[in-house]
Amino acid sequence: MGAHIEGASALTGHGLRRPTARRLADAAAQACLAHAGRNPADVDMLINAGVYREDSMGEPALAALIQEDIGANLGQPPVGGHGTFSFDLINGTCGVISAIGVETGFLRSGIIRLGAIVTSDVEPSLRDQGTAPFRPTGGAMLLGWEDGPAGFTDFYTETFAEYGDLFVSGLAWQEHRGPRVPGGPAGRNQMIIDRKPGYHARLTDCAEEATRRFLRRLGMDAGEIDLLVPAPCVPGFVDPLRARLGIPGDRVAYVAEDLEDAYSTAPIAGLQAALRSGRLREARNTLMLAAGAGITVALALYRQSAPGE
Amino acid sequence: MSETRGKPADHWLALTSPNSDGSRGCRIESVGVKLPSRMLTTRELMARTSHHTRIQLERLTGIHERHVVGPGETSFTLAAGAARDCLAHSQRQASEIEMLINTSITRSRGGSSQSFEPPLSLFVKQAIGATRAVNFDISNACAGMLTGVFLLQDAIARGEISCGMVVSGEYISHLSWNAAKQIRSIFSKQLASLTLGDAGAAVIVERAPEGAAGIDVIGFTTLAEHSRLCLAFPSTVGPGAQMYTKSRTLQKVAIEDMAPLVAEAIGEAGIDLADIDYLIPHQTSARAIRQGTESFARRIGARPKHVVVNLEEYGNTSSTTLFVALHKYLDEQRIHKGDRVMLLALASGIEIGMAIFTIDSQVEHYGRTH
Repeated sequence: MGAHIEGASALTGHGLRRPTARRLADAAAQACLAHAGRNPADVDMLINAGVYREDSMGEPALAALIQEDIGANLGQPPVGGHGTFSFDLINGTCGVISAIGVETGFLRSGIIRLGAIVTSDVEPSLRDQGTAPFRPTGGAMLLGWEDGPAGFTDFYTETFAEYGDLFVSGLAWQEHRGPRVPGGPAGRNQMIIDRKPGYHARLTDCAEEATRRFLRRLGMDAGEIDLLVPAPCVPGFVDPLRARLGIPGDRVAYVAEDLEDAYSTAPIAGLQAALRSGRLREARNTLMLAAGAGITVALALYRQSAPGE
Repeated sequence: MSETRGKPADHWLALTSPNSDGSRGCRIESVGVKLPSRMLTTRELMARTSHHTRIQLERLTGIHERHVVGPGETSFTLAAGAARDCLAHSQRQASEIEMLINTSITRSRGGSSQSFEPPLSLFVKQAIGATRAVNFDISNACAGMLTGVFLLQDAIARGEISCGMVVSGEYISHLSWNAAKQIRSIFSKQLASLTLGDAGAAVIVERAPEGAAGIDVIGFTTLAEHSRLCLAFPSTVGPGAQMYTKSRTLQKVAIEDMAPLVAEAIGEAGIDLADIDYLIPHQTSARAIRQGTESFARRIGARPKHVVVNLEEYGNTSSTTLFVALHKYLDEQRIHKGDRVMLLALASGIEIGMAIFTIDSQVEHYGRTH
């Protein structure tokens, strides 16, 4: 009995004339709902875990705009119906696993019956094309509760704050250079993404350390992991990590090449690959792993059967 | 992990209450604030607008002054300062905090006007020594802190954790300065930006001891049909952001839709609105609060005993308003043990959230007796 994955959809900005974070998340959410045979009105909680958007909007939560776009419980609150509660959760590439943890809890409490998690990342400013270390992508997944054996059972997050400055990003004010048009902008708040040398190596080290600790806590061996869903799913991160952990390459849910550079969407892209291949259903123990700025490592165990079965 | 599961939701609000099967009681254990020492009066702010606006802002909003940051102060310093103040009023140690959620809209730190990665919560937990806490940030406009409390309440009720902290550091006065450069009249969509003040706030939520008073009901919804009534973006006229609000429409929608939601929450708590000793609404303008409260009291047919308005000295401090007000009333010993309090969040989205709880021993750690 647990919070089970009803669907996962990830997509790139190909085909969209001007891929914005909102449009990518909207498209992914609509595709995911359609594949799962669900109606937008079924969604009780919608969490957006995307990080970078074209306008770096501060409020409202992007999740509220996506809720409106997909038409989830709009209109006047009637007595006796149910609404949708939407907000953004920010934890870099680990945001999806954090959001799964939150929604699993609310499903377990019975406060919600269906949770949606959406993601998307695009260039922070449309004038900065080509500076961000990711490709425009969007993702969505649905979490429901069922009395069957499948479900998320355990979560673990570890931060390695000593490496906190290896990857930092934020907006900084840049004065406009050159002659100014009267009434024109005085400057702009530009996104600075600073990834220092050594970040990727430390990411792998931290991911290995946290995974070993999590498995020890669960009393499990890496050999019991039937499927690894890693994020980022780039060979330079995944292959050294799975080799160190002793997980064979055929137990990794590699994503399609065009989704390799996904950012916050990466965990959903991995789930989509695992669902499409049928391996998520076959694997008794699936380990989701995400690592990113902080350095933060987030892990979640998804089981197809109760522990010990 | 606990396998308890309550009955399926049958409310418009995503709502948790003591009726949820098998859940454990939770309470707000302590509240802390960090207010910048520098003050800015409404008169001083309006004297610095680029255009002669003729706006009588203090009369319109009830805001006389607000705290604004000085050199070196950022969202991070306000959040960390509030977290330390919260611990100073708490029986808990930083090392006992198992989950720390930062919920500020603004996340300035160091040279960045808005930090994206790592999440600000990581730096706050390091600053206060809550090193074993799971951390992440939430962005939910002015409803952020109460959203964080909702998440903690659920995690505690299920037995996943026993103690967590929500923090927020809102350095938002730059919106006022940016608006002051452009605003021309009372009809400007940037008018609400002139009401803002800076503040940090923090709250510890913990499992309530057996028999102790605590959170009776907490719930949220998003009325997304109105998601574009208040939008904030990075500014092009100066560092920080700009905010555009259709204040009258927002107020109208809030008044219309708030009543059935408040009725749902108080119904779930098994009480009447008249049983609320202190209603603490989101602090926007004194007039809007008065009109809003009157309207839903009329629709519900009852009114709370007191409605808290602290705008005169703080202005609208965004996601921290509810807890800055609660802290003030605790510190001034105006709220007493046994009093029932309702926090009412209203935010861009439109987000509507509410928490009803009973004051317990936390009053002993505030004011002159502390």
